[in-house]
Amino acid sequence: MEHKESNIKWGMVIDLDKCTGCGACMVACEAENNIAPTPDSSNKLRTLSWLLVYEMNNGKAYPEHDVAYLPRPCMQCGNPSCLHVCPVVAIDKNEEGGIVSQVYPRCIGCRYCMAACPYHARYFNWFDPIWPEGMEKTLTPNVSVRPRGVAEKCTFCHHKFAEAKERARAEGRDPSHLEEGDYIPACVAACPNGAMHFGDLNNPKHKVYELSHKPEAFRLLERLGTDPQVYYSSKREWVRRQGDNYLTNEKTKGE
Amino acid sequence: MGLDRRSFIAFLAGGTGGILCTPVIWKGLDDISIWSQNWPWIPKLKYGQREKKPVVCKFGSDAYGVRVETAAGRPFVAQGNPDHPLSKGGICPLGAASVQMLYSPSRVKAPMKKVGDGFENISWDEAGKLLAAKIKAAGSDVCAMTGDETGTTADILAGFLAGLGSEACFLMPSESAPAARAWELLGGQGMPGYDIEHADLVLSLGADIHESWGTVVRNGKAMAADNAVYTYVGPVQKAGTSISAKTWVACAPGTEPLVALGIAAYLINAGKGVGMPGYDALKEFVTLTNPPSRVAQATGVSEATMKQLAGALLRARRPLILTGSEFGQGADALGCAAGLVLNVLLGRVNAKGGVTDIPFTAAVVNKAPDRRTLLARDVVGYVQDVAQGKTKPAKVTLVVDANPAYALPQPEVTAKAFEKSDFVVSFSSFMDETAARADLILPASYFIEAMDDAYAPYGSGQANYSVSPAIIDPVFDTKSAAEVILSLAASTGIDLGVASFEEAAKARAEALGADWDTLAEGTAWVAEMSNGSGVSLWNDALRALSLAKVPAGAMILAPLARLHLGVDGTPTTPFGTITIRNTELKKNVLCVQMNAATAGKLGMKQDDAVQVKSPAGSCKAVVSLSEAIMPGVVAMPLCLGHTVGDAFSKNKGDNVYKLLDVQREGGTGMSVFGNPQVQITKA
Repeated sequence: MEHKESNIKWGMVIDLDKCTGCGACMVACEAENNIAPTPDSSNKLRTLSWLLVYEMNNGKAYPEHDVAYLPRPCMQCGNPSCLHVCPVVAIDKNEEGGIVSQVYPRCIGCRYCMAACPYHARYFNWFDPIWPEGMEKTLTPNVSVRPRGVAEKCTFCHHKFAEAKERARAEGRDPSHLEEGDYIPACVAACPNGAMHFGDLNNPKHKVYELSHKPEAFRLLERLGTDPQVYYSSKREWVRRQGDNYLTNEKTKGE
Repeated sequence: MGLDRRSFIAFLAGGTGGILCTPVIWKGLDDISIWSQNWPWIPKLKYGQREKKPVVCKFGSDAYGVRVETAAGRPFVAQGNPDHPLSKGGICPLGAASVQMLYSPSRVKAPMKKVGDGFENISWDEAGKLLAAKIKAAGSDVCAMTGDETGTTADILAGFLAGLGSEACFLMPSESAPAARAWELLGGQGMPGYDIEHADLVLSLGADIHESWGTVVRNGKAMAADNAVYTYVGPVQKAGTSISAKTWVACAPGTEPLVALGIAAYLINAGKGVGMPGYDALKEFVTLTNPPSRVAQATGVSEATMKQLAGALLRARRPLILTGSEFGQGADALGCAAGLVLNVLLGRVNAKGGVTDIPFTAAVVNKAPDRRTLLARDVVGYVQDVAQGKTKPAKVTLVVDANPAYALPQPEVTAKAFEKSDFVVSFSSFMDETAARADLILPASYFIEAMDDAYAPYGSGQANYSVSPAIIDPVFDTKSAAEVILSLAASTGIDLGVASFEEAAKARAEALGADWDTLAEGTAWVAEMSNGSGVSLWNDALRALSLAKVPAGAMILAPLARLHLGVDGTPTTPFGTITIRNTELKKNVLCVQMNAATAGKLGMKQDDAVQVKSPAGSCKAVVSLSEAIMPGVVAMPLCLGHTVGDAFSKNKGDNVYKLLDVQREGGTGMSVFGNPQVQITKA
């Protein structure tokens, strides 16, 4: 059988200077991926939020204070910590674009992956998913509902990737060379403030290529060697500095 | 044939090999793993022909296009509409969960009549007869309130009331009313429009363009284009305002628009505005009556900062000044006028990237007062007067698409006013504080279940009109509020000139010169750049208005509007609960945010349980330290603390509307509210 080679690397670049922390991405993600709503979401260890918006600040007092919001999807690491620890091979690093996904029926709920992930991007179904009566009629036909006892996480809405390929085939285009904008995850599409960008990090024609090569672009905990496919960007040094563990006198990336 | 040792071993080896090679075990394990997760109570997905249908999402101040995706006709998700001028593909946190709200546990599923302390389901027929009888008995003694500022439903309601002989049809408070008044004072014909997309400097005086001011989704998209430098003046820092293109100027809450007067003084000194109508009066007002030193005292923004802002405005090619209240309502006309004056002074009226004059639409419903008249009516003042016995209460109160019992300042005053009305009717899709108080609930169909429309929501750059078709049949026994009012009008012998909502919307489209078929397909109509004229720099009526006075050392409340926590008419959605931060709600207690210096002065520390008291009321809260709040100010998020609703919205924190005390603006007589002085004591 011919081995399929793909040079695609799906990635996201999030401009932290534009994010206002409005939460539209989180809600859009929850709706798109059939995540059951929780009446009380104050305990973040028990809720499922594939995308979580963190609030950061520079630690300085008024008026030198500054705020930033950081949306955190799964980093879709090039070298995923979660993948290596899974005892049942329930985690897949896709060869066509590098999306890390979870094979739910294989998952035995051991949560090793959650412990291994340095980004807290993985979640566990502590409870059966329950929708208010009737609301299950608004489930999307795109993403299967996960039962209690399995781990899950952001998939870059990879069903939309599959859809984009199908659409390309139907239109007689090459599904392995998608145009920019053919495949956009729900959070990126929802963002009303233009903070989130998505595309092929290896394709110079895509905006994310340029954005990820800017000096102000950085990745979270880059030096762990996880090679994340999610980039952040900020013109503010203090924001970039919080993206990794720096030594006291060390220069921040992008300075 | 006996079984010798050799053949026994061969049998074992063969058996083991066979077992390892057979797929039965692996298939069995696979099946077990699948079936052990395949429980009957886990919902199955339903497939079908996929379509995307454009509709209009109307939560908060905004009304923008979304596309609802359906599978076999079943709607499942809402996404921004890239083709709609006010969405451009973006969506707000409420819009993103709007389809799921179709089945919100709070939905009212059938007409209900109050019996004792509870409700009893009745038929639409019975409900219609009951209401018609009450209306006939009340004569002209009927009042109405609606939160639908942009839709034709408001015209139908106002026309019906006018037909009954009542002038008491009100719109809920918003940015529009003070803006309409200010624009009128300056000689504008319609509503001020703001061409944010083409500005290269946006100075926002109090207006929170990302959460509560105007066309929120479009504002975000316009700012994302990076064409403009953005400065925000207000008490609470906005994210990212320390980069060169974004700055924050701390300013006492509620006084932000006054900074415009200070800046105007510097612009006049720089020679701007000479010869414009009203120049002398404005010059006197901003240099002698209210010189920058006085403005600096009232706002806390230094004269040097105002001079610097004036310099930046002079250097910019296409500056645009926006004014508003930090939470989208309760502002005064003077403040809005001050911002508009700056735009006039800089020659920004009818200019690209400036202020346009968006005309009010022609009347399409008989007897309906025009939108300017509706906007001039003050619902807050009316409710306060009724509660205090200064105005006769109406026998019948109709509430359409609004929750005044929760979201008007001092909800207990609204409750008192409602108690005085003999018969309160709520046309609400959801069980809310107002519906719970009503004598009759006539459940309105949700936005994708009934036709709706929106004309130029406040903040739009040009006149625009969108129609939102019904894409599904009502899932419960509900009806469109507009249709119910139309049939009520028919049964009480009032001729509104239109037989259905669609007819009214068609008439509106025709009056605008828009093509109905295109509109009905979900494409918005956008006007060419409008040509308002005759706007003056100043008007003597403005002279009568006075600067807000803030006592020294006072603690002032800055209410925070956050779309993810909900809006006046709609609380947090079930999907919104994950977005609530522990700086907004901590262990189900509302957070009062203040900086460490303020907390130190009050003798408070992080997580202290406190009581926040204003002249209007009090709230329970917990201290949350944040250096994003200027000293002398405490910030509290609105739209929590619902007492009626479902598990997702009810009993979460406290209602900050309880703290808002109402003042009347000198000169216009409009109710202004929003930034009361508060006292904070340990609980």
